[in-house]
Amino acid sequence: MKAKDLMITVTEYLKPDHTLKDAVNLLKVAQRGEERVGVKGLPVLDEAGKLVGMLSMRDILKAVHPAYMNMMELGDFTWDGMLEEMAKKITDKKVFTLMTRDVTTVKEDAPLMDCVDLMVKKNIKRLPVVDKTGKVIGMLYERDVFFAIVKAMLNENTGGGK
Amino acid sequence: MTEEVKAATAVVMGAKFWIATAIFVLVYGLIIADKIHKTILAIVGATTMIVLRIVTQEDAFHNMDLGVDWNVIFLLISMMIIINIMRPTGVFEYIAIKSAKVAKGRPFAIMAIFSVVTAVVSAFLDNVTTVLLIAPVTLLICQALDLDVVPFLITEAIASNIGGTATLIGDPPNIMIASKAQLDFMDFVYNLTPVIIVVLIAYVITIKFIFGKRLTVKEELRQRVMAMNENEAIKDPLLLKKCLAVLAVTVTGFIFHGMLHYEPATIALAGAALLLLVSGTKEPHHILAECEWATLFFFMGLFMIIGGVVKVGLIQWMAIKVLDITQGNLFGTTTVILWFSAFASAFIDNIPYVATMNPLVIDMAKQLWPGVTGLNLLHHPDLMPIWWALALGACLGGNGTMIGASANVVVCGMAEKMGKPISFKQFMLYGMPLMIESVIICHVYIWLRYYVMKI
Repeated sequence: MKAKDLMITVTEYLKPDHTLKDAVNLLKVAQRGEERVGVKGLPVLDEAGKLVGMLSMRDILKAVHPAYMNMMELGDFTWDGMLEEMAKKITDKKVFTLMTRDVTTVKEDAPLMDCVDLMVKKNIKRLPVVDKTGKVIGMLYERDVFFAIVKAMLNENTGGGK
Repeated sequence: MTEEVKAATAVVMGAKFWIATAIFVLVYGLIIADKIHKTILAIVGATTMIVLRIVTQEDAFHNMDLGVDWNVIFLLISMMIIINIMRPTGVFEYIAIKSAKVAKGRPFAIMAIFSVVTAVVSAFLDNVTTVLLIAPVTLLICQALDLDVVPFLITEAIASNIGGTATLIGDPPNIMIASKAQLDFMDFVYNLTPVIIVVLIAYVITIKFIFGKRLTVKEELRQRVMAMNENEAIKDPLLLKKCLAVLAVTVTGFIFHGMLHYEPATIALAGAALLLLVSGTKEPHHILAECEWATLFFFMGLFMIIGGVVKVGLIQWMAIKVLDITQGNLFGTTTVILWFSAFASAFIDNIPYVATMNPLVIDMAKQLWPGVTGLNLLHHPDLMPIWWALALGACLGGNGTMIGASANVVVCGMAEKMGKPISFKQFMLYGMPLMIESVIICHVYIWLRYYVMKI
């Protein structure tokens, strides 16, 4: 099997100048394929449809997490209500200021093991799949790769999948 | 005296003189231009000096007067190792949270106590390290109290430069001066610490006038700070006890190193070695890797570049010019060195500045007292105030602008990260008057102590 056989077509995406408020609204309602599961991350596409970044739940967590807390161990000295305060402060920030810019992508005909290699080595949960022109055509999710593995283990898949 | 000066003016301005001077000017110019990293420039300049045979590799590596001053390098490395082991204990978080609570969450009290704590810690640790340890907690406290963090960050950076001036190990210029002039830890304590205490008191009073009225906090927000439990900061009490014990031994070692005829680097390295041994460090790789190698190589490169211009006589020529200007008047020379150092350090890195001035002061001394050599020359009673003026000017001068000292650069970087960038003008508006105030105090001190009371 190849990346394109397991990917889910991209229907929802973000624009770089969306505010975080727009972004979280979309994250909340966006669905992963046919299943009614909210997605944990969305691609950010510019006007030409070119992939410029990814915005995930983790990026939103990072956005409320003050930079100084990375510098020292200060977790014990936070207060109730701090998270909500920080959340209000970031509402109007733009997606492009917080998105992950250095996005790893795979080609549509990449073998699944190539995808797993990237997922394991770079700790990626969502891999954008691009066509020959570099346009994003789908997303490959860790969970779907997992199900492919499950299938193989339970001999429901003959492998090679021509 | 002028005849003696003229007699010694025989600096041969040959090809080597101009090549070395060109390398020196070019490297310093590019450091100021700040387009290429200063460490790379220093390494390139240093190797150019060796490749063009201005200095030999033997000079650069093994001659303390013409090459790397390993006393400075090992003192810095050792202190970095000690900090790297100490940081994870949480002691610095503890001190900062405790300070905010002692201030009862009142904003000016926090500013004053943080400044004093920063100054005291800076007297023993590197200024940048100190600021990196206190600023994150400051940001947290300001967030809790809904205060503008910028005045706090600026006052801490300035306090750290003031505090660092107090001791031999507090600021790199002092380490360099101590090594070149063979001054010991207690020399600095006797001569610089008293005036720095006065400067610090004046500083706190001044910032009270500047910021005191402006800072207000809602009562309920203060409760957030009061609810913090500083004891939770201590992550490893056993390691902390070991660190504090080793630190106490090391500081005691510094106090007595002159008496025991050990170089400061020996004391520091012994402290680092002891702490590495007792801390139960299994894999020293991280602790050693986290030393600031870029800074260390910057020092090494500079020492070799300066070695080149010393060897060809540029520094001697500059020394003669300074003496021409001051007509050999010693208080005049001290005054010029103090104020020139302050303004020079406000705009350029005080490390290359002091690296240049050290041999210049020694060459000046050679011109002034031609027959005197060794310690008699370095510790000539009339030369001592010049060393202190250089230390005070170069260290305190860093407060003038945001690029004057590394601690300033670091806090400005943090402010920018927090979305509150500090402009060059904004920093200078506070830094320059505060710098001038501190240098005036030092000027009066030097005049009174060394020229009126002569003690």
